[in-house]
Amino acid sequence: MSADVYFMKGSDLMEWLNTLYTSFYNALIPEKRYLAYISGVKITLMVALFAVFLGVLIGILVAVVKVSAKSSKNPVIKPLAAFCNFYTTVIRGTPLIVQIMIIYNLIFTARDSNEIIIGTVCFGINSGAYVSEIIRAGIESVARGQTEAGRSLGFTHIQTMRYIILPQAIKNILPALGNEFIVLVKETSVISVIAVNDLTKMASFIGSRTWDILPPYIIAAAIYLLITMCLTSVLGYFERRMSQGDHH
Amino acid sequence: MIITKNLQKTFGDHHVLRGIDQHIKKGEKVVIIGPSGSGKSTFLRCLNLLEEPTGGEVIFEGTTITDPACDINRLRQQMGMVFQQFNLFPHKTVLENITLAPIKVKGMAADEANVLAGKLLERVGLPEKADVYPGQLSGGQQQRIAIARALAMNPKVMLFDEPTSALDPEMVGEVLELMKELAEEGMTMVVVTHEMGFAREVATRVLFIDEGVVKEENTPEEFFANPKNDRLKDFLSKVL
Repeated sequence: MSADVYFMKGSDLMEWLNTLYTSFYNALIPEKRYLAYISGVKITLMVALFAVFLGVLIGILVAVVKVSAKSSKNPVIKPLAAFCNFYTTVIRGTPLIVQIMIIYNLIFTARDSNEIIIGTVCFGINSGAYVSEIIRAGIESVARGQTEAGRSLGFTHIQTMRYIILPQAIKNILPALGNEFIVLVKETSVISVIAVNDLTKMASFIGSRTWDILPPYIIAAAIYLLITMCLTSVLGYFERRMSQGDHH
Repeated sequence: MIITKNLQKTFGDHHVLRGIDQHIKKGEKVVIIGPSGSGKSTFLRCLNLLEEPTGGEVIFEGTTITDPACDINRLRQQMGMVFQQFNLFPHKTVLENITLAPIKVKGMAADEANVLAGKLLERVGLPEKADVYPGQLSGGQQQRIAIARALAMNPKVMLFDEPTSALDPEMVGEVLELMKELAEEGMTMVVVTHEMGFAREVATRVLFIDEGVVKEENTPEEFFANPKNDRLKDFLSKVL
């Protein structure tokens, strides 16, 4: 696009808009290409959703082990905590795309594996490291007296975590977890490198079919933006509702 | 009921407890007083192992609880504890605060636990507060609920760690009144407090802890009328 676009005459403008329309039309309508975007969005959302669940699961386990290691004298917990530290250090210190290539080739050597499972495992393992730090901060934000009250009533360490500390910690960290989900929705685009048909991969397919690579990516970008904006407003709604709950 | 033998506790280089030998018998109301940092709270918290002693023994009803093989969770069920900062569970209603431990720790049925909690709320004079959250209660009310929560486990002894120190002055009375009733019902109690009136009126024995040792112990009459230790005389002259 040259600089004289801004000074075009009316007929040139019409022609330019027409070309633009055609290229976006080609990226969307023929061969029902819009369906490809929709199936891509489905996979992106499924992967992000399941990965967040897996990430939270891993995150809680890792966080509880790390926090417990400070006080517990259980002989198993120290090596376990060392492993957890290794895990968070490696995951947070290496690029996501490299991790995905490694996890993919390490675990999913069979090429007909389910793509949602592939994505979930890759991003779950990655996300778990970040989530564990969020949850650890959440656990440590709960006053020490709560643990003491629980233990003095006869709760075991695990019961105290489960019934007393974690419910309070989760409430404090829900906004941060929601953000992690939004970040994941965007990061899942990286998964196209291992042939998972997510939204980004679909855009690249369509671009290679129409010989016009830009429109499908712009459409994909618009869809990502729409999803994250929706999620942000949903998150904001829950945050406002929960802060009301604090005025007990 | 509780015996401590040469109880020691150090935090790093700081020697907080320097050998305490005590025998707390069933039905006794032992009140512990002493200056800040003297180790009196640490002593109390060693009795149910919230603080791990670094030396010596604690024996509860014949079981050495400082032995690593001992199931401390089981024994703690029999020792209720009330904290300076109440430590109610803010995410649970008053009723749930009281029923949580009986249900989850003792395996009591929910119905039975609710009935029990209802009785305890009557007893601490707050039956109408069952469904509110702790944050909506005054400090005095929260502490009374905390006492009810500890009583719900039907403990053999109650440990009080400065239960009125975080309260507004006008709320101290209601909590002390409840503790007095508890004492009259025969509960074995160990109380760390600065309330000398309570010590004089309720205690069967008063301990003065300073610099990590029991400097003086006596019946409240003798303790306050004829203090022998110089540090205690000095302390009493300032607080009375």
